[in-house]
Amino acid sequence: MVKRELKVNLRGFLIWTGTMLVTLLLIYLVYPSIVSDGKGNKVNEMLEAFPPDLLKAFNMDLAGLDTAYGWLKSEGFTFLYLIIGIYSCLLGSNIVLKEESEKTIEYLAALPITRRKVVLDKVLVSVIYIVSMVAILGIFNVAALNISEQPDNKQLLLLSLTPLFPGIVLFALGLFISTFTHKTKKMLGISIGLVFAMYILGVISEMGEQVKALRYLSVFTLADSRGVITNTELKPACVIVSLILFAGLIILSLVRYQKKELV
Amino acid sequence: MSETILEIKNLTKYYGKVKGVENLSLSLNRGEIFGFIGPNGAGKSTTIRSIMNLINKDAGSVLFHGKELTRDDVEAKSRIGYLPSEVFLYDDLTVKGIFDHHESFYRNVPSAAGIHEKRQELVSRLKLDETRPIEDLSLGNLKKVGIVLALMHNPELIIMDEPTSGLDPIMQNVFYELLREEKEKGNTVFYSTHILSEVSKVCDRVGIIRNGELIRAGQVDEISDKQLTFVTVSSDEVDALVEELGVKVLSREEDTVRFANHFPDDELIKKLSNYRIRKILIEEATLEEMFMHYYEEGQADGKA
Repeated sequence: MVKRELKVNLRGFLIWTGTMLVTLLLIYLVYPSIVSDGKGNKVNEMLEAFPPDLLKAFNMDLAGLDTAYGWLKSEGFTFLYLIIGIYSCLLGSNIVLKEESEKTIEYLAALPITRRKVVLDKVLVSVIYIVSMVAILGIFNVAALNISEQPDNKQLLLLSLTPLFPGIVLFALGLFISTFTHKTKKMLGISIGLVFAMYILGVISEMGEQVKALRYLSVFTLADSRGVITNTELKPACVIVSLILFAGLIILSLVRYQKKELV
Repeated sequence: MSETILEIKNLTKYYGKVKGVENLSLSLNRGEIFGFIGPNGAGKSTTIRSIMNLINKDAGSVLFHGKELTRDDVEAKSRIGYLPSEVFLYDDLTVKGIFDHHESFYRNVPSAAGIHEKRQELVSRLKLDETRPIEDLSLGNLKKVGIVLALMHNPELIIMDEPTSGLDPIMQNVFYELLREEKEKGNTVFYSTHILSEVSKVCDRVGIIRNGELIRAGQVDEISDKQLTFVTVSSDEVDALVEELGVKVLSREEDTVRFANHFPDDELIKKLSNYRIRKILIEEATLEEMFMHYYEEGQADGKA
């Protein structure tokens, strides 16, 4: 079961990871020309004209855009959180549900295997792919930036881990929501919408004290990239809350799937 | 007394307000082929999906060897083979790939010993090409793959929903032969179909389901016994004759009527002897006519 799921989901994993690697590679290749001849400073000067809360929302108050690492800490990780979040949520919403959508569930349900094992094997494969994606992108970023710059490697390594936390929670959330429907088509819009909605809530929550409470509605708060950039450490609370949310949603999904009518 | 393998007790399933099956009870004995017949929408697939725990029962239970068959009873599931009415398999695999995948679940199942040899035998008898991708298979070939998957792990209970749809007549005969062999080995087959001729070919017992309820169950011979005959009579006194017998006329052409008869032959002859009969034809009902009779009778009762 695990072997087959690894094989079936490999293509999607390679496409998503490959696309992100190519995008990052292109950015790192062209970035030196963007910031050469003092253009980077001009960009930073231009950013100073933006409202401080907006800069804060994208970590631009902590990192300048005059280096590739600075770009990664601000816009780069925004891009990574979103893409890894969408991949994870889609994976969660599809990996079990596709058996119903593609009507292979009648075959699967007749095999000598429990429903719990079906779900847990698929969760294991998904976690392997999400962790692999985060690891590959992290290693690539460390390698690429060390060639051109001297980034704070400890900070960069910790930052590279941060997409994992919203990623696994979004995966589990997608999985849980998928237990309420029978068709994967419905889940595509829901998953992407959910990730964007949470992302926007996370951004808005950084824009002032009055809206700060919105951060609790966004899983991207769990990435806490500001905390890592400022303190060069992962906030234990974020790690623990991520793991609790992940485990809780997986347990809820198992309970729902156990009772679900599979036709 | 024969051993009961599967027992369905008071099974009830509603889809919202729509009845799937209601209070359905039946049992299957070791080494028999039980035909489960009924028209589309009668509740056959609902019954099967309830047995397989794909859907939740509203009431009732399904017992396998006297023990409730739960969705996570892996040991029981390893001794059951299932062929759904429509076979959907993983399109990215070849026929060989799906068989290898299937075998991997039965490696430590004692009752499935010899699974690979059985697979090879079935593949050869059903003339399957294992190199072909699943996505390229025709409906008939997909069905053949489904049959191999349902039988290769040597299950003692085989549940099949419309198993011959898509099979050509030659393959249908090979399939009937395979079923008879399973029966000889002492395995039990639950055979759901709406094709009545199949039932008389392979089944020992039959259950007729209509509108979610089991309306008749018994030996195939018993169901199609002499209890029901179809009588065609030509007489000048046909109206009086029909009135006295109290039968339902199936067709009428001038003074010739055809009706379903429940009277024993001697009683019928005695009653008819009071009239001037020009021509009489008494036909034994086939299983098909039996089914239609019970079905139409039930429908009329329902309307009334």
